[in-house]
Amino acid sequence: MQTPKIKFDHVTKVFETRSQTIVAVKDYSMEIQAGEFISILGPSGCGKSTLIRMLDGIIDTTEGDIFIDGVKVNLGGKKKMPPEVLRKMGFIFQQPNMLPWYTVRENVALPLRVFGLKGKEWEDRVDELMKMVGLEEYANARPSEISGGMLQRAGVIRAMVHDPEILLMDEPFGALDELTREQMNMELLDIWQKTNKTIIFITHNIEEAVLLSSRVYVMGTNPGHLVETVTLDLPRPRELSMITQSKFIEYRQKLESYIGEIDLSKIK
Amino acid sequence: MNVKNRVVSILAPIASFLLIFAIWEAACRINEIPAWFLPMPSEIFKSMVVDFQDYWPHLLVTLQCVLIGFLIAIPVGLLIATLITSFPLLNAAMSPYITFLVTTPLISLIPLLMLAMGYGMNMRITTVVIQSFAVINMNACTGFNNVPTIRRELMQSVGASRFQTYRMMILPSAATDIITGLRLAAIFATTTCISVEYNAGNTGLGSQIIKYSQYLQTTQSFACIFYVTVIGLIMYGLIALFQKKIVSWQE
Repeated sequence: MQTPKIKFDHVTKVFETRSQTIVAVKDYSMEIQAGEFISILGPSGCGKSTLIRMLDGIIDTTEGDIFIDGVKVNLGGKKKMPPEVLRKMGFIFQQPNMLPWYTVRENVALPLRVFGLKGKEWEDRVDELMKMVGLEEYANARPSEISGGMLQRAGVIRAMVHDPEILLMDEPFGALDELTREQMNMELLDIWQKTNKTIIFITHNIEEAVLLSSRVYVMGTNPGHLVETVTLDLPRPRELSMITQSKFIEYRQKLESYIGEIDLSKIK
Repeated sequence: MNVKNRVVSILAPIASFLLIFAIWEAACRINEIPAWFLPMPSEIFKSMVVDFQDYWPHLLVTLQCVLIGFLIAIPVGLLIATLITSFPLLNAAMSPYITFLVTTPLISLIPLLMLAMGYGMNMRITTVVIQSFAVINMNACTGFNNVPTIRRELMQSVGASRFQTYRMMILPSAATDIITGLRLAAIFATTTCISVEYNAGNTGLGSQIIKYSQYLQTTQSFACIFYVTVIGLIMYGLIALFQKKIVSWQE
């Protein structure tokens, strides 16, 4: 059997604060193959953001292991994830998270600077990506001068600039208006089809999860845990018009029923 | 509209300035207020020009003490803030002393510092540094500690080193707070320097204000006070210039 691109093996994360102990994620396992587009769906507080932060070395794990290409990447304690592992991943935040003192282009090129990737080919890559999402005219603008949709596009290509194999997206379009969001989703699918990256997409929007991904991991709260895995047998490429098809609606209702079973009263 | 706004924003303070001094002048003349009690502004400005040679060496001494002290206080304050926000143990160990320095009026230590260091420039500069670095440090700490988590996560996600994170993200994030600290420190520096000069030695504008007051030469006292204002304006201008250069992205 093929080695999974990403593997969570009984991962648990416990946060200790002064007053209480919070189990953010409990005994979570999943396997994702290279080139897959999967969603993690759940209400706020279910630990879905914690999952990809553990994968990207931002937060350490309490128990269990995480593997990328069969290599264990959570080294435990305060040990930092090595740059060659981090280079395999690009993180897209819920907010654009641009640094306001840099230009749009400097923001997009930030990972290159930190990873020490220099030279014409990398510079060309920045320009290519800027062009791909229609930002080339705004290269020297400050983040405060462009719209929210533009900023989020910049956030997406910043995560791709060092050519990672995996994209981790933390509700990336949640702060955008409905129209821009739909447009960005289609652009994302386009990018995914062209580049064949492995994508983990975090969302609390059921429709978005069905439209984009091949498989949805439904999470519940208190403690954050895996409720159900739903494989979506919908044709690709996906179109916005699909959301009215009976199969799409069927999946949506199925996911809604899983989310509905989560005891909302337990959410703090 | 824009041009009009700009003209107004330049003319308005000049107009109000002239108005205030006109009222002051008129009040003195009409009520025949004695010069030792409240001199006329025209006399004060005349003295600032005519007796400039008397004031100049003192102006120079005060300006040097304030400026040198302030310029030493900036790196000291920022360095300590960087260290204590990076190492929690250091923070716990040092923050009581920083609070102590900010809250203790340094004027109360002047006699002791005089005893140890004499009346010269070194002692004045030292006092200015001690009084102003603490406020720079406090504000810089606030800025460093209030960096948004999401920016830290961004730097972590690309595996930035401590130094890269500091230079590319933490320092600019804290720029606004640091400049607030500088503004306060500039005021502290001038106030401290004048206070020291009231008490120690016979050079510097502070010593001259005391001297002229004792001889009831109020006009000359006021001239010195106005020159202190000039020093304050120089400091303010320097910080504004620095702000424009460093945080131009905020506009």
